[in-house]
Amino acid sequence: MTDQIETLAPRFFGQRVKRREDPRFLLGRAKYVDDIVRPGMLFASFVRSSEAHARVRGVDIADALALPGVVDVLTGEMIADTSHPIRSDSTMPTWQGTGFPALAIDKVRFVGEAVACVVAEDRYAVEDATEAVIPDLEPLTPVANMDQATAADAPLIHEDWEDNHFIKRHVETDGFDEALDAAPHRSSHRFVMARHTGMPLENRGCIAEWDSAKGELTLWTATQIPHLVRTGLADALQIPENRIRVIAPDVGGGFGIKGHLFPEELSCSIMAIRTGRPVKWIEDRREHIIACIHAREHTHEVEVGYDDDGTILALKAHLQVDCGAYSVYPWTSTMDTGMALGILPGPYRIRNYYVDAESVATNKAPLGPYRGVARPAACFTIERTMDAVAEQLGLDPTEIRRRNLVRSDEFPYTSVTGLQYDSGSFIEALDLAMEKAGYQQWRERQQAAREEGRYLGIGVTTYTEQTAHTTQEFKKRGIPMVFGYETSMLRMDPSGQVTVNTSIHSHGQGLETTLAQIAADQLGVSLEDVRISFGDTSEVAYGSGTFASRSAVLAGGATDLAAGEIRAKLARIAAHLLEAAPEDIEFSGGRAYVAGSPDQGYSLAEIARMTHHNPQHIPEDEAPILESTRTYDASPGNGTFTNAALLLLVEVDAETGFVHLLDLVCVEDCGRIINPLIVDGQIQGGIAQGIGSALLEELVYDEDGQPLVTTLVDYLMPGTTDMPENFEIHHLETPSPFTVQGIKGMGEGGAIGPGALVASAVDDAIRPLTSGRVTSLPITPEKVRTLIEQG
Amino acid sequence: MNRHTVSFTVNDQPHEVEVEPRRLLADVLRENLGLTGTHLGCEHGVCGACTVLVDGQPQRSCLLFAVQLDGAEIETVEGLAADEQGFHPLQTAFWEKHGLQCGFCTPGFLMSSKELLERNPDPSDDEIREGLAGNLCRCTGYVHIVDAVRSAAEAIREEQR
Ligand code: FES
Ligand code: FES
Repeated sequence: MTDQIETLAPRFFGQRVKRREDPRFLLGRAKYVDDIVRPGMLFASFVRSSEAHARVRGVDIADALALPGVVDVLTGEMIADTSHPIRSDSTMPTWQGTGFPALAIDKVRFVGEAVACVVAEDRYAVEDATEAVIPDLEPLTPVANMDQATAADAPLIHEDWEDNHFIKRHVETDGFDEALDAAPHRSSHRFVMARHTGMPLENRGCIAEWDSAKGELTLWTATQIPHLVRTGLADALQIPENRIRVIAPDVGGGFGIKGHLFPEELSCSIMAIRTGRPVKWIEDRREHIIACIHAREHTHEVEVGYDDDGTILALKAHLQVDCGAYSVYPWTSTMDTGMALGILPGPYRIRNYYVDAESVATNKAPLGPYRGVARPAACFTIERTMDAVAEQLGLDPTEIRRRNLVRSDEFPYTSVTGLQYDSGSFIEALDLAMEKAGYQQWRERQQAAREEGRYLGIGVTTYTEQTAHTTQEFKKRGIPMVFGYETSMLRMDPSGQVTVNTSIHSHGQGLETTLAQIAADQLGVSLEDVRISFGDTSEVAYGSGTFASRSAVLAGGATDLAAGEIRAKLARIAAHLLEAAPEDIEFSGGRAYVAGSPDQGYSLAEIARMTHHNPQHIPEDEAPILESTRTYDASPGNGTFTNAALLLLVEVDAETGFVHLLDLVCVEDCGRIINPLIVDGQIQGGIAQGIGSALLEELVYDEDGQPLVTTLVDYLMPGTTDMPENFEIHHLETPSPFTVQGIKGMGEGGAIGPGALVASAVDDAIRPLTSGRVTSLPITPEKVRTLIEQG
Repeated sequence: MNRHTVSFTVNDQPHEVEVEPRRLLADVLRENLGLTGTHLGCEHGVCGACTVLVDGQPQRSCLLFAVQLDGAEIETVEGLAADEQGFHPLQTAFWEKHGLQCGFCTPGFLMSSKELLERNPDPSDDEIREGLAGNLCRCTGYVHIVDAVRSAAEAIREEQR
């Protein structure tokens, strides 16, 4: 009997459970924003600036208004007095902020900035009308890159600023100069990561609907952060927050890019109020490429001091990030600089550190978080530096890392920037990766290939990924909103079924499955008995949403705590009914019973029904409700640190410069794993995006701030044939001592390492041919050929 | 603008629509017929999210005008199965192997894979990658998609044995 019950109730935590959410996607029945139709719906489209920097003299809308099907046209001037621009300000010193208006008012500051919004009866009519709106723009000198922006006589992008810096930061450890001076060896390097972006396959889009009778606004939007969008909309439109409902339906990928409040969401809301009809806007790919969020444009200069053994003694860095024209909501333009500054020393024992970091404004699209937020660039810089030091000392690149990595007996380890690395397996992960790859055999293959005139190279990268940063960390960053916590509300209804309402959003991460695994385990029910609900601000508790590799930790923690509370109450009720002690009640197979006597018990459906319908049978002091809301903010607050080691074997075609990825081995340690199938998928997806950063992706602008990449024909993303031929993932599981269930986040991790990894492998491959080294991403065939030609 | 009447079948159902010459097949499927399983990721022929089968061949519905399709037999993701119980082996395999994350590319991959397996019932991994090179997925990194197609191919061969 006992055996039978145990087989009825497997523990789901740690199992490769296939995803609960998949059938609706596989049947073509998911509902993304563009799949939603509202009665009487109009379509919106935006007229966008063709200039990088210009004064708006006027916008001629008369011709457009006269076209068939056109209902309304809106310009910045028309709403300047009634709606506030989007503002997100840092609280840190030196900060200079911006207002990002729904539609440009006096100036445009990047190509693609929205100048007017047109709404019409159908999508084809609105596109025709958009072409009939004529903005009168008086060009100003564009500031197209960081050199231009920081030049002494640079034109100001924001005229009330002192210079073109959002923020300048400096951190320096005591006695830094002496430490650097004392180092027996020093070398300097400059590394550049090109502007690129997350490019989710679904573009942005929203539908705004105004209920004039109730004075209520509903916005369906493709967002990762429905509640934060609601707060931002309320501030900009001056509508009380309880009159705004934001619904994030199925979302076709986000990667950080959809974690913003956008001017277009504001315009559509204003249009819905003006016209009294629902207004839908679906972005096209060209708009997405030029006018959405860009990412990761970093230039890093470093000087490193080290001893004869390769121990890093001091690290000095100057970090510059091209943040584009406006501060983004809710992150501000400090995210990339702050993160790079904090994590640059990476998994290494570096104790002397000096850093200047600047967020620079230019006439380009705003820069915001994209999977990994600055960590891909920081990892590129520190790993390239490690490779350089290894080469100068004649050490194997794995050896230099082993000598500097934080060792297992040093955790929890406080980094030079004050981050507490809670636990990890930095050296063990590297060892395991080498063992699984067969590092020596790879070296032999490389040697044999060289003798045949073929150029194989081995790359190595290790990193630690700060995940689930909570209150303390966001407080430290000077962001106006502190995204510490997430909340889950659990309810067991009279039929014994469980609903988890949670404040995060799932758009590919599989949280409909992992959160159900956690709740089902606590309550001893099956996955089918648990429904996960999110995305609708009128249904779920306030929270931030999904970003920063935090949802499994925070929503997982909140769900675990809330389910635990319901379980405790069920145990008290069952104990009362069974005349037993609550601590003797066990749960499995959808039943609560006395430990050791599974037939002495009730089904949860029976207890739930009794609680709600016959409360006279439950203890007098228990309320007839099975509900719990719990908030979780992982302590100590600066996050839990996942780590990984990656090895890659490539072949470089010396003629064409083409880099062919052969074998990739990833060892990842993200603490206790809820669902290995999902974790593997996240790693593979992240690494694929990282391969794009490494080899393909770049948003090119010319000297006048004109974007030269405007379609997916010019913006190359990895396809099936760009992935490594063999791709292996292995896991170590070092639980976090601080989080519920020892879970660590890992959603961004895959994207952090590949830039550094591929660069390391390419250098290793072409070393016999050139003294040049890869210092910038992406590593295009042309760059490789140039390195080889220079010899 | 002048309008044309076009007849075709979608998932074996006959349809007749009246359209402007510039109206895209994708818009007809999604808006006129309410078949929103076909997605638009780029509308310029690169991403493959909008892939449907036209007379058995994979086509990008964002590049076809509906007026070109008089008499055609069109198949969309909605035609693969009515529910979970009736899943096509590809749908089962994508589910088992975790071949989707956000799901936006998935209908396009399913339709391209279906044609691939009809043409080549026992593809190597390289042939699968080549066969799906016209579909972009930004979430999965393709490893599990290739696993899924390989496993569906096995299941279909098994079924036919
Ligand atoms: S939408 Fe048709 S190929 Fe991208
Ligand atoms: S699953 Fe998101 S694009 Fe493929």
